Amino acid sequence: MEMIKNVLVGLWEASGINALFAGGVFHWQNLVMLLVACVLLYFAIAKKCEPLLLVPIAFGILLANLPGAGLMDDPTGLMDTSNVVAGAHWYETGVLRLIYAGVKSSVFPCLIFLGVGAMTDFGPLLSNPVSLLLGAAAQLGIYIAFIIAILLGFTPQEAASIAIIGGADGPTAIFVASKLAAELLGPIAIAAYSYMALIPFIQPPIMKLLTTEKERKVEMKQLRKVSKIEKIVFPVVVLLICAFMLPSVAPLLGMLMLGNLFRECGVVERLSDTAQNALMNIVTIMLGLTVGATANGQSFLQIKTLMIVGLGLLAFCFSTAGGVLLGKLLYVITKGKVNPLIGAAGVSAVPMAARVAQSEGRKYNPTNFLLMHAMGPNVAGVIGSAVAAGFLLAMFAK
Amino acid sequence: MLFTSEYSLKMGIGEALLTAVIGISTVLMILAIIAVLIMLVSKVIRAIEAKTAKTDSPVTAAAGSAPPAAVPLPDTESQGELILENVDEPTAAVIMAIVSNKSGIPLNRLCFKSIKLLEDDKK
Repeated sequence: MEMIKNVLVGLWEASGINALFAGGVFHWQNLVMLLVACVLLYFAIAKKCEPLLLVPIAFGILLANLPGAGLMDDPTGLMDTSNVVAGAHWYETGVLRLIYAGVKSSVFPCLIFLGVGAMTDFGPLLSNPVSLLLGAAAQLGIYIAFIIAILLGFTPQEAASIAIIGGADGPTAIFVASKLAAELLGPIAIAAYSYMALIPFIQPPIMKLLTTEKERKVEMKQLRKVSKIEKIVFPVVVLLICAFMLPSVAPLLGMLMLGNLFRECGVVERLSDTAQNALMNIVTIMLGLTVGATANGQSFLQIKTLMIVGLGLLAFCFSTAGGVLLGKLLYVITKGKVNPLIGAAGVSAVPMAARVAQSEGRKYNPTNFLLMHAMGPNVAGVIGSAVAAGFLLAMFAK
Repeated sequence: MLFTSEYSLKMGIGEALLTAVIGISTVLMILAIIAVLIMLVSKVIRAIEAKTAKTDSPVTAAAGSAPPAAVPLPDTESQGELILENVDEPTAAVIMAIVSNKSGIPLNRLCFKSIKLLEDDKK
């Protein structure tokens, strides 16, 4: 009888329900986060909002908030020294915490950039290099959000990590946050990816507000054909220029351009295919899952998180506005040859932002095809956000 | 690494503004340099390619043994005459471009005979 009682007590003590009340405190935050995970899964599966990212992120949140499961435990203090257990071994570390090393060390964001490079055709950018300026102007939100974050009392490192959400580039945001403010990585990554999924709702009102109907109807002339040699030379030239000016950008841009060289050189088809598909998919699973797993209820449900979400939205809006405003300037300079709507695509979320420019353009001129013109600023935005990240790291990295 | 631990806790609004201005200027400057270099490199490459094409053509002509081939159409044009039924020209151009892109066959090797709008049966 005593043995049965001991077994039952042991089962109760090991259960998640007991862990929910560990230390005599009701950990309601974990329950809230489980609910948030379910809502995100609903949006990813039923509404198809960026499902490739949102499903692993939401499931990561679910796993990290299971009471007592310890998937993100770090008893040896490998990455988090707040709960060190004396005499613990590295192999007792939670499985997600071990995988999270790929985020913490910036391996995953760099590998994602390798895949993005292998999937990106820089042709539209090469045939219209002025697109690069639109990609640069669409980083405006990063710096405006940085100033506001400083005003709100964040440290420069935290402000820089939050501001980079305005680059609309998930891997870049993770890369910067993991180096400058690792404790904010969860909310920053989730805000960055959420806003990328919400681009079709965030951008159109801003684009409409800042442009006239006449500007939105502008048809742009067909882009010239880019030769293979130009496409091969491009990644090497861009990497050399950027890395010589901002060496801190080399990991991200280096991998992006390596992936692009795989694609364009035409002699490493297998490597290009692996980078675009198998590797990209594997790293997306690992990255999404562990980024989601950083959203632990106790640390996530704070006023700071709400401020990060709000600042991220502001950064995103100002970045869109920056791109559109430079588009307007180019419209004036070129005497109406540039449609300012393509400036909004400078916010790097490839290819979603370019698709939004295309669909907005067609609303006002059904025969207008802006997609390829918008792809130029769109891929320029990837380079622009990486350069902005390099600048912030050069200024604030410890 | 200009703003390290001693600056970690506080930064004045003036410093933040200055950082932001320098930041956006840096991004603009680097991307503008890349844009200029792309223009220069593509000009050089196109000039070299044009020169190579010129030097290649007399050699081909001098060989002379092959019968003169038909002048190929440019990559952006398809062959034959096309009949459009309730379809405007830009839409037809897009359809042809999509077919070429998806099939991987250049437009100059495709022959479109007609493009017709199929009305939805709403009766």
